[in-house]
Amino acid sequence: MASSTTSNVYAHVIEDVINKCRDEFIDNGGTGDNVLNELQALWESKMIQAGAILGPIDRSATQKPSHGGPIPPNPVHDLNVPYEGTEEYETPTADLLFPPTPLQTPLPGTAQTPLPGTAQTPLPGTAQTPFTGMSDSSSLYNIHTGGTPITPNEYSSVNHTSGVPDMRAGSARPSPYMEPSPWLNQKPPLDVNVAYVEGREEGERRATHLPSTQDFFTMPSGKRKREDFPSQQNPGGYIPQQDGAGDISDDMKLDQGSSRQHVLVNANQKMVAQREGLSSRIPQLDGPIPDPYDDILSTPNIYNFQGVANEDYNIVNTPAPHEMQAPTPAPAPQNDIADDDEDEPLNEDDDDDDLDDVDQGADLNTTHLVLAQFDKVTRTKSRWKCTLKDGIMHINNKDILFNKASGEFEF
Amino acid sequence: MATFELYRRSTIGMCLTETLDEMVSSGVLSPELAIQVLVQFDKSMTEALESQVRSKVSIKGHLHTYRFCDNVWTFIVQDALLKSEDFAENVGHMKIVACDSKLLTQ
Repeated sequence: MASSTTSNVYAHVIEDVINKCRDEFIDNGGTGDNVLNELQALWESKMIQAGAILGPIDRSATQKPSHGGPIPPNPVHDLNVPYEGTEEYETPTADLLFPPTPLQTPLPGTAQTPLPGTAQTPLPGTAQTPFTGMSDSSSLYNIHTGGTPITPNEYSSVNHTSGVPDMRAGSARPSPYMEPSPWLNQKPPLDVNVAYVEGREEGERRATHLPSTQDFFTMPSGKRKREDFPSQQNPGGYIPQQDGAGDISDDMKLDQGSSRQHVLVNANQKMVAQREGLSSRIPQLDGPIPDPYDDILSTPNIYNFQGVANEDYNIVNTPAPHEMQAPTPAPAPQNDIADDDEDEPLNEDDDDDDLDDVDQGADLNTTHLVLAQFDKVTRTKSRWKCTLKDGIMHINNKDILFNKASGEFEF
Repeated sequence: MATFELYRRSTIGMCLTETLDEMVSSGVLSPELAIQVLVQFDKSMTEALESQVRSKVSIKGHLHTYRFCDNVWTFIVQDALLKSEDFAENVGHMKIVACDSKLLTQ
């Protein structure tokens, strides 16, 4: 999808970033080249998957600078050959040589048994690219590098480049990509807080609304009204009673009519039931509503208390459990969270219908986006002119880079 | 050297962000190191655009929205026509986000 120039620039940027970060990787975390190579392989695989980089070109282009000065493009291939030659103790190497794609399957088997030396190191390197195997492979990889410090790195990079395209087809696709960097923007806490706050608000709302939904709550409210009406129909002196109708005790004192007493008694019983229900039933009400979500998020809803459900919810969704646990103590918000989830999609849909689609909807997938720096922006009446530079355009699924751009718009 | 985080929203930046995200969440990479990588990406991307790109583009269209906030211009252009030597594209809706180039030189 990308033009060759764009692809080359991207490849150069990747290489530049990787090279310039190498010192930091080695110095700081002790993570070293292994992780860095993982990063590069993953990054390139995503780029190829996104169509922003043309696969084969990138490999040669990226590897050349990485290996350093003396090696021209052909020598890169030479590296592969002697490397393979060392491995050629057995037939599987031949498999490795000819088709790049079958590398994945033969690798694990060959890596374990044959030689611990250089041959193994590159193999796990390629194996590293899949998401799950990273940590294990990297650890193994480190051990081997200790024996042969220089070569394994080179081999690994070579393998990554050669293995990258292969891995992309396999590894990159199956994993649905997460939304950008929860840890960068600290989105997980933010999201939780937002949902949590909203939950509180709605929780309060529902605390008020809930009685209306419950049978008990609805019944007393209706009967209160009935009570109020007869009071009005009876002697006019009851007007203050109407005011006191809200308080049952007052009604009891004031109203001595038998019929009313029965009604009031019933009302009182129901009120008591309500009061009991407030503590016990709120979770019950919450229970049925969140069930579908809970089933998805977490099965262990044995507890009526929502705190447990929240923990599960948090754990499932976000990597950091500690932050998540903080919001759990309040049970009501949790129920609300599930409810909120129901409400939110409706709101989002509503927004989509609005004219805001141009601003907001475009941002996600279909957006044609230009990221640039502006030198000058001028306006003459309704005519706007702007000069941009150093921009990246994503237009019709193509990435286009420009050094300068001039825009002329009619407002 | 000052850098813009602007380009992180590009395809290459998003791919890098996703990669770092996965590696950090899997514990392979520390968040601090990942941020350093992103900062380096900001620098490298800016340098690459300055030194390696030579194409010019013209954009014409109807300006639906303009906004200037915190030294960032945002234009939403409708029925945009983009032209360069290599291509010509028509786009119904296009968003332009541009930071002040003078901020980099300061």
